Amino acid sequence: MTRPSFFKVAAIGGTAAWLAVFALLPFLLILVVSFLARDPSSFVAPSFSLEGYATIGDGAFLRIFLDSLAWAAITAAACLVLGYPFAYGLARLRTKRKNLFLLLIIIPFWTNSLIRTYALIFILKAQGLLNTLLLGLGLVDQPLEILYTDTAVLVGLIYTLLPFMILPLYSSIEKLDPRLLEAAKDLGAGRFRAFFAVSLPLTWPGILAGTMLTFLPALGMFYVADVLGGAKSLLIGNFIKNQFLTARDWPTGSAASVVLTGIMILLLLFYGGSGKGAPRKPEDIGA
Amino acid sequence: MMKKFLVLALALCLCLLISLPAWAAKGEVVVYNWTEYMPDAVLAQFTKETGIKVVYSTFDSNEAMYAKLKLVGAKGYDVIVPSAYFMQKLRAENLLRPLEKAKLPNLKNLDANVLDKPYDPGNAYSVPYMWGGAGILVDSAKFDPKTVTSWADLWKPEFKNQLLLHDDVRDVFGAALLIKGKSLNTTDAKDIEAAYALLEKLVPNVRVYNSESPKTPFLNKEVAVGMIWNGEAMRAIEEDSKLVFVWPKEGGMFWTDCLAVPKNAPNPDNAHAFINFLMRPDIAKAIVEEVGYCTPNKEALKMLPAELRENPTAYPPAEVLKRSEFQNDVGDAALVYEKYWEMLKTGK
Amino acid sequence: MLRRIRLAYMALVYLFLYLPIVVLIVFSFNNSKYSTGWKGFSLRWYGELLSDAQLLDAALNSLTVASLSATCATILGTLAAWALHRYDFKAKKLFQTGLFIVIMSPDIVMGVSLLMLFVAVQLEPGFVTLLLAHITFSLPFVAVTVASRLAGFDKHVVEAAQDLGADEYETFRHVILPMVMPAVLAGWLLSFTLSLDDVIISFFVTGPGYEILPLRIYSMVKLGVKPVVNALCAIMVAATVVVVFASQILLKEKK
Repeated sequence: MTRPSFFKVAAIGGTAAWLAVFALLPFLLILVVSFLARDPSSFVAPSFSLEGYATIGDGAFLRIFLDSLAWAAITAAACLVLGYPFAYGLARLRTKRKNLFLLLIIIPFWTNSLIRTYALIFILKAQGLLNTLLLGLGLVDQPLEILYTDTAVLVGLIYTLLPFMILPLYSSIEKLDPRLLEAAKDLGAGRFRAFFAVSLPLTWPGILAGTMLTFLPALGMFYVADVLGGAKSLLIGNFIKNQFLTARDWPTGSAASVVLTGIMILLLLFYGGSGKGAPRKPEDIGA
Repeated sequence: MMKKFLVLALALCLCLLISLPAWAAKGEVVVYNWTEYMPDAVLAQFTKETGIKVVYSTFDSNEAMYAKLKLVGAKGYDVIVPSAYFMQKLRAENLLRPLEKAKLPNLKNLDANVLDKPYDPGNAYSVPYMWGGAGILVDSAKFDPKTVTSWADLWKPEFKNQLLLHDDVRDVFGAALLIKGKSLNTTDAKDIEAAYALLEKLVPNVRVYNSESPKTPFLNKEVAVGMIWNGEAMRAIEEDSKLVFVWPKEGGMFWTDCLAVPKNAPNPDNAHAFINFLMRPDIAKAIVEEVGYCTPNKEALKMLPAELRENPTAYPPAEVLKRSEFQNDVGDAALVYEKYWEMLKTGK
Repeated sequence: MLRRIRLAYMALVYLFLYLPIVVLIVFSFNNSKYSTGWKGFSLRWYGELLSDAQLLDAALNSLTVASLSATCATILGTLAAWALHRYDFKAKKLFQTGLFIVIMSPDIVMGVSLLMLFVAVQLEPGFVTLLLAHITFSLPFVAVTVASRLAGFDKHVVEAAQDLGADEYETFRHVILPMVMPAVLAGWLLSFTLSLDDVIISFFVTGPGYEILPLRIYSMVKLGVKPVVNALCAIMVAATVVVVFASQILLKEKK
């Protein structure tokens, strides 16, 4: 028991090494490159430069950042508003088939987001289901031009990310002890009061987890903007992709990635600080 | 029971791993081409005749192709299809492998007028694949094509949110430059800035930027007017006869696309075999009949039906060519173009 | 009354989530090239899929990468979960945070950072880079799945095994592993799905000669709506449903 077991060393060391090489190191590379200069014929020039950050701080690009943040925020908020009542209803379901209903949410969670985005085209396009319905019911006389607009991208983001909000919320709400709510009622609280004073604070970790799982991807899912937005709408993800694969401005792309990671770390600190602590995430994510 | 499952899974992985080298041993040619630019039937026929497998992937702009090529270090791909105006850059950066003319006997089928151009003297590194130009497509079900005769017409307020533009910096800026009476290939930063100022006013009209398949939004009735390459127009009109193609009065924007072999191509012999195959008259004919652009292959041209050869969309008449320009390399000014392009696409 | 509203709302959300997919699947059987009107039931698009050699190649490649990466990720992830459960070591907190950060990291940042790593060491983008990337993002999911299973584990069993003379490895192999096997297998299935579904990270690290299915679908999708794409998507959705079902059954097993 005194000699460290080879197995123990292998188990810990092996995975730690993997993470260090393939998760930590790449990120450090990005950090470094964000401070280098651009080279038109190679990838980066090995000289210190702040042009990467300067470019993203510049007027036009700052606008995409802020726009993208706004959209991600709207997406997360919409998912929260749409998802909370659903998760609540699901948690309160008293039926033997509860697992089946849960499974019906888990399936879209694991289905390829690209496929789900593509599926939306059938609904939103000029000759798609939505327009056919609206025209048929006489609610509009010209087909709505939704595809290739910002609205379409927003709908796409909300549609794709809704399950990512519902599952953590459900996990959290499920753990809510109904006796607490009863106690609140006994003390004279109305339904709304009970909700805001008891349910909401206790499900806060779920709300935070869900927000992170919708906000961060909403910033990066460039294919939603590509497929539904007509290459006009730019998320931070599209911007980063362009910098690396078309404009070939690696320092700028890296700078943008660093900022994106910064946002993530901020959210994580916020989450960690809310008293839930890192290791408990698994159940909240509900995989 | 669980153990058996695990054993099965591992066995499966092992089998796959073992068969990996087997796949690599078979001859293959890795082709990197524009989208919708080569019929599947042609690829299938190549494999049938030579036994060489074609691994095919696509890009939608020269810039994207160039970025990918640099990323892989000019390895991995056997045949690429850059536009002529990019050839200069690729040659200067030593990214291409010189062609072995002995392996390309079908070169004799090409029209001598398209060979030995300044972008690739002596065709040391490339052979022309197809040429074509960008013009305007109008959905006559929505707008009268007779009212659209110039690039400037795209700016009309009634086209708000109806417009399609290529997701291509040179095409979009080219249109603005032509309106201003400048050359498509200007390197003057002031001209480019003026073009940008003009384009800023066009943005409210733009519904979608698309270079992957410009005809699709037209066919889906999402857009009713916009810029399009003549080959795409040919295919679009085939499917929807209400669409009308117009060569603008300032001229079309012409280009030539070439076949080239990257410097560190893994299968150079197969690459040459493929390129030679494409220059066969019957193959070239099959390609343009499906894709709709102009072939530089004079033998194939002879084999085309008269109605195709005389179609002004597919084969622009001499007077159109006279007033039009071919896109060329702009050297370092490319960075200026790109800067304004980014600003255009990110602005609202 | 409130309950009725709640249930109605839930039904609406389910409808919202499933309608587009159902429509997509329905149109994969439409005997028309342009998904505008229903022209009769047909399996021709599925037939076309089977005869598209390139697509089959991409599918085979995807399955290869998915199974290999799932296997490696499962091995590493299970070891990681066990290490975290069993041992107390100095960098434990750091390790846990590391796993968590990989789960939370936006795909785009992982994609470009891995691309940069491979360029820096001059590793050619292709099968190997794809495999390494997929193992990396699947690893934490397996760790988390197995860890939740280990959480409810009785420590006495381990003590008993050690009293009987088993060393660390033997304890793991003969006592722990059979016990967490359902979670391990569920982890394998989830990694497999993650690998098949990944678009963003694969987009950056894949190479010229190695085409995979999600990227192929991406190219096809960008070219517009085509029934063949519907058929392909329908198959992938079906595959996902099967895998999710299987993993849920495994996870719910009480041993």
